[in-house]
Amino acid sequence: MSFFDKLKNRFTSGRGRRQRVPFVILFKTFQGLLEKNNKILDSIAAMGDKLGGDYVFDKNYILSSCQEMSDLVYKLIYDLDTIAPNKYLNLYDAFQRINHEIEEELAGRPIIAQADYVIPFETISRDSGDVVGGKIANLAEVNNILGVPAPEGFVITTTAFKAFMEYNGIWNRVREEPLTVKAGQEVRALVEQGSLPAELRRALQKSIEQLQLAAGDKKLLLAVRSSAWGEDGIHTFAGQFKSFLNQPVEKLVLSYKEVIGSAYSPSAIEYRRSKGISEDEVAMAVGCQVTVDAKVSGVLYTLDPTTPEREVMVINAVWGLGAPLVSGEVPGDRYLLNRTPPHEVEGLNVRHKVSMLAPKEGGGTEERPVPEELQMKPCLEREEMLRLAELALVIERYFKKPQDIEWALDKKNQFIILQTRPLNLQTQMANLVCNLTQAVQEYQVIFRGQGNIAQRGVGAGPVVIIRDDEDMEDFPAGAILVAKYTSPRLAKAVPKASGILTDVGSPTGHMATIAREFRVPTIVNVGPATKTLKPGQEITVDAEENVVYDGRVKELCYYEFTEEPFEESYEYRLISRVLKKIAPLNLLNPHEKNFAPEGCRTFHDITRFVHEKAVEELLNLEFHEKIMGASAKKIKLSIPLGLMVIDMGGGLEDSTEGREVKPDQVVSLPLKAVLEGMTTPGMWSTEPVPVDLGSFMSSLTRTFSSSLATPKYLGLNLAMISKEYMNLSLRLGYHFNIIDAYISKEVNDNYAYFRFLGGVTDLQRRSRRARLLAELLEAHDFRVDVRGDLVVGRIKKLNASGMIGKMKILGHLVAFTRQLDVTMVSDAEVESSKEYFDRLTTEAVAKRN
Amino acid sequence: MSEDRKTQVLILDDEPIVWKRLKPALEKVGYEVEAFTQSSNAMRRVGEKEFDIVVTDLKMEGIDGMAFMTEVKKLSPRTEVIVITGFATMETAKESFQKGVFDFLAKPFKRGELLEIVKKAEAKVRQQEEK
Repeated sequence: MSFFDKLKNRFTSGRGRRQRVPFVILFKTFQGLLEKNNKILDSIAAMGDKLGGDYVFDKNYILSSCQEMSDLVYKLIYDLDTIAPNKYLNLYDAFQRINHEIEEELAGRPIIAQADYVIPFETISRDSGDVVGGKIANLAEVNNILGVPAPEGFVITTTAFKAFMEYNGIWNRVREEPLTVKAGQEVRALVEQGSLPAELRRALQKSIEQLQLAAGDKKLLLAVRSSAWGEDGIHTFAGQFKSFLNQPVEKLVLSYKEVIGSAYSPSAIEYRRSKGISEDEVAMAVGCQVTVDAKVSGVLYTLDPTTPEREVMVINAVWGLGAPLVSGEVPGDRYLLNRTPPHEVEGLNVRHKVSMLAPKEGGGTEERPVPEELQMKPCLEREEMLRLAELALVIERYFKKPQDIEWALDKKNQFIILQTRPLNLQTQMANLVCNLTQAVQEYQVIFRGQGNIAQRGVGAGPVVIIRDDEDMEDFPAGAILVAKYTSPRLAKAVPKASGILTDVGSPTGHMATIAREFRVPTIVNVGPATKTLKPGQEITVDAEENVVYDGRVKELCYYEFTEEPFEESYEYRLISRVLKKIAPLNLLNPHEKNFAPEGCRTFHDITRFVHEKAVEELLNLEFHEKIMGASAKKIKLSIPLGLMVIDMGGGLEDSTEGREVKPDQVVSLPLKAVLEGMTTPGMWSTEPVPVDLGSFMSSLTRTFSSSLATPKYLGLNLAMISKEYMNLSLRLGYHFNIIDAYISKEVNDNYAYFRFLGGVTDLQRRSRRARLLAELLEAHDFRVDVRGDLVVGRIKKLNASGMIGKMKILGHLVAFTRQLDVTMVSDAEVESSKEYFDRLTTEAVAKRN
Repeated sequence: MSEDRKTQVLILDDEPIVWKRLKPALEKVGYEVEAFTQSSNAMRRVGEKEFDIVVTDLKMEGIDGMAFMTEVKKLSPRTEVIVITGFATMETAKESFQKGVFDFLAKPFKRGELLEIVKKAEAKVRQQEEK
């Protein structure tokens, strides 16, 4: 007999007889709702796992996962509607809205997020590509993340572009397919005659003023460049769009219109036609950069595309501005540098330079003669070449591809990066790596499968072993960083390293986060890395396959260049895009205004909202009195936990009257045991802490941030019980627990299910906390499943006293983990917390005996 | 098969991402790998060259994996076939394919899981040849 049948029997024979049908249906609906809730969260976590790189998945997987998720969320809303008819109908709208967005993404019609019309470069993040265009996004990323100097400025977004086109009635005109050259001409004319919507005009004015203020210069001069949606991704559109140098702010609107008009030039239309890009996909952002007063400008290829096997980088340089060089009008100096530090000069071709392009006073550019003494002089000194080479390789390592970089050296002798994009070398490289199988076997493997990959990729270089107190400033660029422990101290060296190995450490640790930030191939927890490897030894870290080779496996490094990085693959991008509509949780606090169907922006939001409301409905007095002739009661506990209980039969002593119950009136076997576990002294953090543990606790409290230390009452705690059964939903601090258990004399029916989902603290701490929980549960014989910060523990078929023991442990855990949101600042704390928990548990057992 | 001859692997999947991610992983542990998106091309190739291990998807445009597998087995009974398929079609796959398939793997899977299976298949191929 299933549990539901037992329940049904109880209610058909007991006090629920009158309304037995509605109750059984409602309770079943609630159970079904919980099940769907869990499935959705599992599925979100499983999809998130796919971003890690271990899995091989295809588009079908993404399609079917989204379909399944969408079905579940819809049914979840339906369940809530059964429990509370017509009360939350707006949820269907929220569902439709989000589901439509996901379907559009899957159909290849990405919905470009609405953004501000104008965004300053410094606030652009990795995800802004859609609204700021590929070129500006790349540049802002190297500037904001790697600290590589780039011009200041702002971008007029694709949102502004659409607004402009709509405002001037051009939008529908340009969506004609196919767009003829003649129509393109008309569009360009319309664009040039068009005027800016008032809001865009204001936003632009504000940004200009802010930039003038920051630059301390009223007479600001700007470079106005295209940064189209999709440009510099798969398609380069190289040279298709206009750009203007050294424009005074008064001319900005004019230049802006000319740049976006150039999207409809005959060559741009033809380019789209040949590449199968639809007119729908045209969205032009425009970057406005403060003019760099360049002494020298040029282009650098981090790998010479004509002879990649020589492993040299090419620098082309001219005096003044770089435009004539970029357009191919003048050749400029050409220097070949070895890619490996110290970057020996392998070729120097100094040209006779008679004229140069320079910014004109008041705007625009002009040609000027090069002073006699500079005409035959190399534009860059050796020291400058070195600095530029290192900067370029930092960018290359980050993007995992040889780069084509536009740069300038300003009058203060600082290099400024104007643009960076991947150099397309696939065909040349293929010849170099024709036989990877053969090549790889010629190298000795030092480690294989030891340790955990924290960031994928391949890097080669000399070993530099970091001892305790070394100065990270001197870390040589391009070397492999080898250290005993992961430590935030190493962070300074990370951007310069071409690979990282550590003896101990976890892939969710701080170091791993930084390695990921800079995309440096990293394997942690290798074991004897610092012992086995010798300083200066050349090695190759293959953090794709978790192998370390002796020597520089060139073929492998080149293979990386030809491979599309996983992060750039269509499938990866698609799953990340749909996950944005699925996974983030914006509805955190039920007491906040956005906690409403209208505030739901993702499926996770809807799921969270439905669960909260379902529990709330069940707690609703009227509902219980009407349906069950019983109401929710409050359990009076020694700990500050507002716990409500609904007795579905035999869970409380018959004598309980009124709205409050004492713990000793609880008869339900699972709840009784959990409560005992939770209220064990020392487990709940507000209990007096034994003196010898004081120092540990103070180390915890030190790390409390004020916002997290006093989590508000964030939801409802509810236990639904019978004599043998308990379903407990708890929201403690910022995390969320469910325990579902059944304990009877029938060993085969007995089970306990524990589920924990973390809260708003940062990802590292959450995953440390998940690891700690998993280890603790495993130590107590639970079968454990961890996905991201979701932990599920299951145990079944123990006899009643065995089950009761496990429920007490779960009680301990619930109380104990209450503190964990705010701690877990280091990996070491996982260990000490584990020991601490074990001690408390042992003490509790001793006290009970 | 002598020791110095590399184990030959063919991968067929109409989703390029699948073999793009598998090929380097297999090559780096010493297999020689050819990968195909078009089943017709793969079909032609198995007529030209004998592979030790074939990894194929089930549901594809054109000929299906079943027909491909039958052809492979007919041409070279010693070749071991590993079927990778979407989770939804897994049960049907197992039912209709009991014979002749070395192992099944449901997509999505971890690269390490496939490597393990390929390793086992390789061991079997070698063992058969020693007999």
